Amino acid sequence: MSNQKSGAMAWVESILLQFPIRVALGGVFIFAAYNKIGGVQSFANAIKGFKILDAETHGHLIISAAYTMPWVEMIAGVLLVLGLWTRASAAVISLMLVAFIAALIHVIMDETISADCSCFGDMQFVCEPGVSWCQVVRNGVLLIPAMYLVWRQGGKLALDQVCGSKTDPDDPTWTVDRSGGQA
Amino acid sequence: MKSAARVLAIVGGAFLIGTGQAVFFGPISLKEPTTTTGTEGVKGDPNRVPKQMESPSDADSEPVPPEVIAPEIVEPEVRIDGTDDPMNLESAVKEAIADPIPDDVLPTAAFAGIDDLLDAPVPEGTLTLRESKSLWDQGAYFIDARHQEEFDAGHIQYAALLLAQWFDTDPDRAFAVTDSIPTDATIVIYCVGGECDASKNTAAWLEPLGYTDLRIMGAGYEHWVEAGFETETTPTDGGAP
Repeated sequence: MSNQKSGAMAWVESILLQFPIRVALGGVFIFAAYNKIGGVQSFANAIKGFKILDAETHGHLIISAAYTMPWVEMIAGVLLVLGLWTRASAAVISLMLVAFIAALIHVIMDETISADCSCFGDMQFVCEPGVSWCQVVRNGVLLIPAMYLVWRQGGKLALDQVCGSKTDPDDPTWTVDRSGGQA
Repeated sequence: MKSAARVLAIVGGAFLIGTGQAVFFGPISLKEPTTTTGTEGVKGDPNRVPKQMESPSDADSEPVPPEVIAPEIVEPEVRIDGTDDPMNLESAVKEAIADPIPDDVLPTAAFAGIDDLLDAPVPEGTLTLRESKSLWDQGAYFIDARHQEEFDAGHIQYAALLLAQWFDTDPDRAFAVTDSIPTDATIVIYCVGGECDASKNTAAWLEPLGYTDLRIMGAGYEHWVEAGFETETTPTDGGAP
């Protein structure tokens, strides 16, 4: 009886929370990645503008980051929407958001730096293009659902449920009926 | 453990795809553009009359109404302190002198002098506000590298909006601007000043297109406004000046 109840709750959580959060968060990152992939030079300029790395000595790292980061966002976003490798993709997004927040605070604190966020390439999402506390708050807000998905994973409507992740021992939503059936 | 391996797989996959993108679509560059300084050898916009040569001919100008030439002086009926009593004004001045404004609320910039503003230090290889104004007076092309919203809110008169990222994301719009500027013209690019990279980024796109006289205004737009130089706020389509 309690297994039936927890199973029903898992479905409710999947439909009301995990699925919409996955699609929304994944969609945001796909949108961000799409805008950057088409403008790698601009994104590299934006990374250089943050002045975290010296362009003279670490230009190759800036260029590598400019090519890699949008694709990390794209892959993680697509996986999140599909509900495949949900915990890993949510963890990647969480780590990126933490790194972005740290970089934004670095720019805000250093008054000599005037940089563009370029978080969504040439487009804007909620905040103005220039780096400000708005972007820090926005990324902090995005971090909450990302961390939630790291904790609760993709739910019943995720492809993880049909692609072998059923046996993932890390999955807190996966309970096994000892009598043999799935809860 | 499985999740950690998947995180690495996602990052590794992205790195491989990004490398492929670099190989197939060409590498990018962080090279600083070659710019010039000074106010010599300006090749400006032939369609723009330099300011010091502006003198409307009598034939073209409309007759000026006599009241504009010699406006009637009207004695104000209301005093500055809001009363009709001139003695109140005198007492208000005395009170103001007796109660000076604290130093911390004085607008110090207003007392710094225009020369300090015009010759304020700028990053090496960029133009001071004085040099920039001189180039503007000589008819040099000005390009605003700030954002559309900032440009619409106000920009240097005759400046054209040209963002570096347009060459990536909206090349038609970028080339609509560059097509109207000859490659041997003197171009002054500005943004918010200081460590703003937007001007350099735009210059870095213009240099490979053949532009040979690129100059970067080290002072920002706000300094231009502060100096009281010519601006305009009419929103444009980002086209040529």
